Amino acid sequence: MKLLLVEDEAKTGEYVRQGLAESGFLVDLVRTGLDGHHLALTGSYDLIILDVMLPDVDGWHIVRALREARSSVPVLFLTARDSVDDRVKGLELGADDYLVKPFAFSELLARVRTLLRRGNAASLQDQLQVADLVLDIARRRVQRQDQRISLTNKEFALLELLVRRQGEVLPRSLIASQVWDMNFDSDTNVIDVAIRRLRAKIDDAFEPKLIHTIRGMGYMLDAGAPD
Amino acid sequence: MNRRPASLAVRLTVSIGVAITAVLLVFGWTVERSISNHFVQQDVDELDAVVRTLRHTLAAIPPGIPPKALRERLAEAVSGHHNAQFQISTSDGEVIYATSGPSLSQLAKGVRPVKTVTTDNVSVWRTNGETLRAAVVQAPSAVGPGAEPVTIAVATGIDFHLHYLQRFHTNLWILTAIACLIAIFATWLAVFQGHAPIRRISRDIRTIRTDQLHVRLDLQTVPAELTELVSAFNDMIGRLEALFQRLSDFSGDIAHELRTPITNLKTQTEVALSQPRDIEQYREILYSNLEEYDRMAKMVSDMLFLAQADNQLLKPEFATVDLNAEIQDLFDYFSAWAEEREVGLHLTGSPVCVQGDRLMIRRALSNLLSNAIRYTPPGHRVTANLATNDHQVSVQIRNSGPVIPEEHLSRIFDRFYRLDASRQRSGEGAGLGLAIAKSIIEAHGGRIGAQSTTGATTFELSLPLVPCGDSQSPGGFIHQFNHFEPDRPET
Repeated sequence: MKLLLVEDEAKTGEYVRQGLAESGFLVDLVRTGLDGHHLALTGSYDLIILDVMLPDVDGWHIVRALREARSSVPVLFLTARDSVDDRVKGLELGADDYLVKPFAFSELLARVRTLLRRGNAASLQDQLQVADLVLDIARRRVQRQDQRISLTNKEFALLELLVRRQGEVLPRSLIASQVWDMNFDSDTNVIDVAIRRLRAKIDDAFEPKLIHTIRGMGYMLDAGAPD
Repeated sequence: MNRRPASLAVRLTVSIGVAITAVLLVFGWTVERSISNHFVQQDVDELDAVVRTLRHTLAAIPPGIPPKALRERLAEAVSGHHNAQFQISTSDGEVIYATSGPSLSQLAKGVRPVKTVTTDNVSVWRTNGETLRAAVVQAPSAVGPGAEPVTIAVATGIDFHLHYLQRFHTNLWILTAIACLIAIFATWLAVFQGHAPIRRISRDIRTIRTDQLHVRLDLQTVPAELTELVSAFNDMIGRLEALFQRLSDFSGDIAHELRTPITNLKTQTEVALSQPRDIEQYREILYSNLEEYDRMAKMVSDMLFLAQADNQLLKPEFATVDLNAEIQDLFDYFSAWAEEREVGLHLTGSPVCVQGDRLMIRRALSNLLSNAIRYTPPGHRVTANLATNDHQVSVQIRNSGPVIPEEHLSRIFDRFYRLDASRQRSGEGAGLGLAIAKSIIEAHGGRIGAQSTTGATTFELSLPLVPCGDSQSPGGFIHQFNHFEPDRPET
């Protein structure tokens, strides 16, 4: 997966590039709008991450040029500007997502993966499996080591999210948004409690442990132990 | 095109000056007319009296009287009227008798005779530099040849009256002009004097600087007409003072709130670098830093939200929001957390709907609910009650717990305000949740308040009511936005 990152702030650009590279992406980082404009139109990328405020050609201009050239490459805006008008403008111009600085890197990573997945048809499997954990999506049943585990609706939704995005670190804000439709931080440890309860049901009595806490970032479901 | 209106002094002076001048002109004109009419009447009376006497005398004169005797009788008849002159002539113009003075023959020929002398038919006649009021009448007489009626021309000098009128006229206009000037000057002076309090107030206002916002203008020292202006100004200064105070408190709070985590980070990093450590320790420090950064980032985004609210930039996308469903969803979200804290969640009342931005309303309710759950002792419960009264929806969120003293209650929606200062760094938010809830409710035209009685604290918010049946599609950009970005973080 090849990404183009256009970011004029030196430190932000470098760290985001490094983070994405370490997560397995090929990243081209450019620091000016002009270079970004050129590469976006000539290069072949799976996703473009654009800073809105650039010294020469701004991010809006680039996304407009892309859409006029009938390119459907997903575009994620990265910006310190946080007004509703700006968001609407970005989305109307054809951006696919919008992330306001300061953002958590795990949040950015999760969104990048979401956008990249959007292109491919979502797998409509009836059954999901990680190690010895089996989810029957249609009948909303969960088994581990052939034992039926009964979960509440929300617990099931939470587990399904973790399993569908296994190996990815999911920030708490993303979990709250996807499972409960709560698009803001509630200053509480609601997600931690929910995860703890889920763990009690699917992990406590079994080995290996599947749900991992990534400190300071979020949670991840993975068959192997995290690094 | 936006011309500055004329000054008040000019406006008042001009309008009062014009009015006074008009009044004086009408007054002068009336006086002059009535004096002039009076003089005419006097003259007519005199002429009429002379004519009557002459008629009487002529009627009594026997025919064939010698001319000398006739003249004596006529002179005697008008002896009381010194001013009057007259001439009696026959129809063919022969003068029978004439008083001394200018000849009245021209008059007798030129003016049509009348029966009796009145103000309407008397004429003004000028001869030899003398002005006369004159009339011509005919009278039967036995004097002339064939006893034909004679023509009597009478006149009286009016130069004296004319001179008087002329003088009066001149004096009147001079007086009128002087009176006008005095009136205009007096008006201008009064207006200038009248504006003195305004100038004084301007001077006072000019001295109020940002560090003296506590200064108020004294209502007792201004004229009644200006009390409204001054009290409006005082109110404005009051609002400015409150806002200014809040802003400077807020800036101070921001500095304080940010200084603490920055100090922590700095110290931690310095200590970490002071000697070589193993990789686990470095990792530990970075994790700890990450948590601190998270807190700061959240605080900054919360403060940005509040700044937007302060600048009226919070523009709710209005749609019908079912509060019942929202609270159910929030209960669902908080249920595990509340259960762990042994706090029960109850929803009572009837389903109600409001017009509002679903995301914002949800955020406000979430802040109130999480606050209530946090301060409820284990084993107690949080009750959300929905009610309607008139055109208002009222949501009460009530939790058991110790009484919050009034001095805390009144400041509970202030930014960074915490009931318990020691709770500051316990990772439970920056103390902006209730301030954000308040901003959201106020941006929706609602009100929010808190009260605390023995055993329970109640937060109550009220919003304009809309019927739930009118469930228009909750469109608007937020939802469209969600479609693009299902995992948007809070703004």
